[in-house]
Amino acid sequence: MNINRRDFVKLTTAAAAGIAAVPAFGGLGKAFANTAEERAKQLSPKWTQQTTSVCAFCSVGCGLLVNTDLETKRAVNVEGNPDHPINEGALCAKGAASIQMTENPKRPGKFLYRAPYGTEWEEKDWEFCKKRIAKLIKKSRDESFEKKNAKGQVVNRTMGIASLGSAALDNEECYAMHSFMRSLGLVYVEHQARI
Amino acid sequence: MTNHWNDLQNSDCILIMGSNAAENHPISFKWAVKAQKRGAKIIHVDPRFTRTSARSDAYIPLRSGTDIAVLGGMINYIIKNKRYFHKYMVEYTNSSFIVGKDFDFKDGLFSGFDSKTNSYDKSKWAFELDDKGIPKQDKTLQDPNCVFQILKKHYSRYTPEKVSSISGVSVKDLELLYNTYTATGKKDKAGTIMYAMGWTQHTVGVQNIRAMAMIQLMLGNIGIAGGGVNALRGECNVQGSTDYALLYHILPGYLKTPLAGQDTLEQYNNTYTPKSNDPESANWWQHYPKYSASLIKAMYSEDTPEQGYQYLPRLDNHKASVYSWIPLIDHMYEGKFSGGLIWGMNPACSSSDSVKTRKAISKLDWMVNVNLFQCETSDFWKGPDMDPEKVKTETFFIPCASAIEKEGSVSNSGRWMQWRYKGPEVFGDVMTDGHYFHEIWEELKHLYEKEGGVYPEPITHLSFENMCEENEHGHMEFSARKTAKLCNGWFTRDVEVKGKKFKKGQQVPSFAYLQADGSTTSGNWLYCNSVSDTENKAMRHDASQTKEQANIGLFPNWTWCWPVNRRILYNRASVDEKGQPWAPKKAVIKWNGSKWVGDVPDGGWKPGTKHPFIMRKNGFGQLFGPGRADGPLPEYYEPLECPVKTHPFSKTLHNPTAVQVEGEEKAVCDPRYPFVGTTYRITEHWQTGSMTRWQDWLVEAEPQMFVEISPELAKLRGIENGEKVTVESVRGSLWAIAMVTERIQPYNINGTDVHMVGMPWHYGWVTPINGGDSANIVTPNVGDPNTGIPEYKAFMVNIRKWKEGDN
Amino acid sequence: MSGKSFFVDLSTCTACRGCQVACKQWKKLPAEHTRNVGSHQNPQDLSSKTIRLVRFNEARDEDGKFRWLFFPEQCRHCIEPPCKYIANMYTLGSVIQDEKTGAVIMTDKAVIRKGKLEGWEMCPYNVPRQDKDTGLWSKCDMCIDRVEMGMLPACVQSCPTGTMNFGDRADMLKLAKERLAEVKKTNPNAYLADPDDVRVIYLCETKPENYHENVVASADQRRTLMAGVSPSKTSRRGFLTALKNKA
Repeated sequence: MNINRRDFVKLTTAAAAGIAAVPAFGGLGKAFANTAEERAKQLSPKWTQQTTSVCAFCSVGCGLLVNTDLETKRAVNVEGNPDHPINEGALCAKGAASIQMTENPKRPGKFLYRAPYGTEWEEKDWEFCKKRIAKLIKKSRDESFEKKNAKGQVVNRTMGIASLGSAALDNEECYAMHSFMRSLGLVYVEHQARI
Repeated sequence: MTNHWNDLQNSDCILIMGSNAAENHPISFKWAVKAQKRGAKIIHVDPRFTRTSARSDAYIPLRSGTDIAVLGGMINYIIKNKRYFHKYMVEYTNSSFIVGKDFDFKDGLFSGFDSKTNSYDKSKWAFELDDKGIPKQDKTLQDPNCVFQILKKHYSRYTPEKVSSISGVSVKDLELLYNTYTATGKKDKAGTIMYAMGWTQHTVGVQNIRAMAMIQLMLGNIGIAGGGVNALRGECNVQGSTDYALLYHILPGYLKTPLAGQDTLEQYNNTYTPKSNDPESANWWQHYPKYSASLIKAMYSEDTPEQGYQYLPRLDNHKASVYSWIPLIDHMYEGKFSGGLIWGMNPACSSSDSVKTRKAISKLDWMVNVNLFQCETSDFWKGPDMDPEKVKTETFFIPCASAIEKEGSVSNSGRWMQWRYKGPEVFGDVMTDGHYFHEIWEELKHLYEKEGGVYPEPITHLSFENMCEENEHGHMEFSARKTAKLCNGWFTRDVEVKGKKFKKGQQVPSFAYLQADGSTTSGNWLYCNSVSDTENKAMRHDASQTKEQANIGLFPNWTWCWPVNRRILYNRASVDEKGQPWAPKKAVIKWNGSKWVGDVPDGGWKPGTKHPFIMRKNGFGQLFGPGRADGPLPEYYEPLECPVKTHPFSKTLHNPTAVQVEGEEKAVCDPRYPFVGTTYRITEHWQTGSMTRWQDWLVEAEPQMFVEISPELAKLRGIENGEKVTVESVRGSLWAIAMVTERIQPYNINGTDVHMVGMPWHYGWVTPINGGDSANIVTPNVGDPNTGIPEYKAFMVNIRKWKEGDN
Repeated sequence: MSGKSFFVDLSTCTACRGCQVACKQWKKLPAEHTRNVGSHQNPQDLSSKTIRLVRFNEARDEDGKFRWLFFPEQCRHCIEPPCKYIANMYTLGSVIQDEKTGAVIMTDKAVIRKGKLEGWEMCPYNVPRQDKDTGLWSKCDMCIDRVEMGMLPACVQSCPTGTMNFGDRADMLKLAKERLAEVKKTNPNAYLADPDDVRVIYLCETKPENYHENVVASADQRRTLMAGVSPSKTSRRGFLTALKNKA
């Protein structure tokens, strides 16, 4: 991976002139760079690490450059990768807005749980969710497992659980999901490709 | 895509039909415009004038759902005007095959139809075989039962006048389309098709694509640069997630899910391993047992493939009407599932008939929804018409890492497997989806080992460690790098294959080395060759090319592409029997006397020794396709909800084999729902908007649910531009802001104006405030008989001014 | 008159709005609250938060052909920028012009009491906008920070179709003339908008008003604005008088 490869030159005119920043800024709800000087900094290898990624929207597969603040470990700039042969740096409105998918004040960072007939979400930790979900899967599986079908043929399948998703997973996660779902005996396995 | 994005630049004519590429695959237009600047024509055939139409050389409006009429007319035109590439069609397609005597076609129905089950006996469409078991051919194409003659007869019915009367496309526009596009039937010309859900989301979805594939075969446009059949996939990894089989009917690499009665691996393999007696047919699927054994060995490394096979669940059949999305949601609605795992999806908005789907979710005892943001699925219990106190479903919302917070690969439409590196740390308490799968499995394994339970072996034996590495705390955790190695596959013991010696643990160099005896693993044979002992090729960022590769924009060292880094599929069809390209100026591959140069050829055999369509049993492109559920040839049928009682091609109004839910009402010529409805996407949002509706730069650009209608329809209903309106169907209703635009026109169908109401499906009640709800509230539960994909693109609605009390 | 220029080929724009969002992304500009008013265009106008806007218009061209027109609007970086002369009359240092690139830049000094000056009074294209809370005027600065780092302006980099181009002025003018000649083969009505006066040169396919009201500036408009700042009339009053007399 070829990261941090840009030549960075010191800002002269722009920084010296104090290019207008918009005081009304507040969109991302985080302390983002909003002066020319700060913006330039966000691409500098001294302050950020640059990694490559692929846009998470349509299937053109446009290359992204992601700059992550070395201190906060949060993304500070995401734009098209000019070296990528498909998009050559270009991005559509969605691709250009990629950073808001990750750095977003409305993004939930906690696990939420609603008990049966509950009227509110409750915050829970992963340990609780994991244990409870595993228990529920086991119960549904054990109760609905068919060893043989109506014709008496061996089928070894779980009829009581449906799995939906996901084209949003990476290939490796798709493989993990496929093997996990099939190990549970699920036959109702579907995702976005069908709809 | 048989080809890839950069390859669009090589085209002489780009037909965009069934897609809105400029809006939904915006960067594709980088390459489409490049072709256009070189003199290529772009033609957009679509019910709406969109941003794609704005940049096309010709825009041709058609009524949604009438594509087969238009394409059938094109086949007729090709035959009548001899626009086909004769040598290609005769040598590389099954045009010369003799179809058996049982084949027949009468009044919209093919032979073998059973009206009790609404399905066909496909054995009636078989080819005649010679005494060696090889299909009989008449290369003069004169035999009345040869495929070419059958096509000629079948599509002679698709006259421009008839096509025009039902599709609303003027005869003049048909001539323009046919003449321009079929000019690519010359051997040095390339025509390509960019299609997407505008073709798949119909009850004739597969046959829409079949029709175009047939046109491409007749014109010699498959395998060549600037040609192909190009499905523009809708999500960043829907190609990969399909390759990895998150679908009821397949296992990774397009292997079949086992059926009841296939009690042993041998029985299973025998069923799906085709046999050809033609030495010139590569019949690639003959290797099926190697791929199935390697997959099972990847999943169950401690067991033999035969034993591991016993851990796989069996279906009763592969029918879309039984297991696919529509029946799945119907089952859920009927209360037949107790649990639902809904991963990276928002079916409460994306599933057809959202009202039913949302109710269906409430019938589950428990539901887990994993997403970046809360959505209408995670929060369904407090949605419209839901009383949380009456909803039993125990609900989990599990937030997950975003794409740039983790590493792993995704496969784009051009089949490029591209690695993503981790940038920022995962946010808050969240983890990656891979970690969730692993940890829930670990917990389950522990539970089954501790408590016992029904048939625990498939879970307890699952080799999840193949996907894990030890982290800095000494715990095994999910690792994308390790999993990528597994998906490629490694040797499980020291072996010699094809004269080469391999050590246990070494990566398998390509699927040609996979074995049926358990000595290799491969999580997906199509991806075998992607990760070697020294490198993960998806990570490659090397733009170097040979002169031949540069000439057609191939980047063989930039990431990796399945299969075996072949960038253009069926490329042996781009050359003649001597290996010389039909179009020397844009050669894909070429035999230089001793080896192939250019792209990775579709098999390295010498030229003229194998038929080029190596994935087909007989090696030929299928003009006649006897494998589909609804007939061997595309035939015109109306959408299941439609504005006409008859059509000019037969008395069979609808696809008789379409997936339907018994008892669900459909609006056919129903005066309450007089307008054709259709749904689509726009650039600024994505799918149900479950991510983009939280991204305020995108909400700013497209803030609210809207509906596009023609000025004529607006006048008819007294609707002003920008006004709030109600759209309703048999299934439900929703509000939208009216966009009255000349870009929508009424269609002249049999002399009558038919109006269309077009809606995006990006919105939902959770956010933004006053954003509106999902267009899928009005879409029907009917689908294609082969794929089960719902008919989101053509159904019947009413539109009127919004009034107090409406949704 | 070297420096940099943009060439904006409207004959290839798909209105993907990559540029509109890429601009906000780079500058971290906040979103505005909008609603659908019966058009795909949003926001409805330029503002201090939206300094680049893709305008959508449906129109019949000179030949009666229906067109859906897209106009990515931004500051034109005039060769002789009226805003520089006019805004600086109110507050010195409000607008500077970068010598190397020719970029016209509104600085953080461009705070002018509200109601004193309108965008159209200092710009023939009516591009600058004043923040309603702070009184600060702002507009596109050619991504001067990126340009100085050897990068393309965010809007240009994001453009997929070759609509947005950026480079040395001579190269951009050459490209503009080549493309114009090409487009004219099929559309004789095509033209370049004010190529001699601005650094953002649009290639248009139909009459200016089909895109938007200020696609081109008449020589009159430009003279009127500049009349107010001719050496003999450097005062604001002089400028306004000149404006009035002209009107």
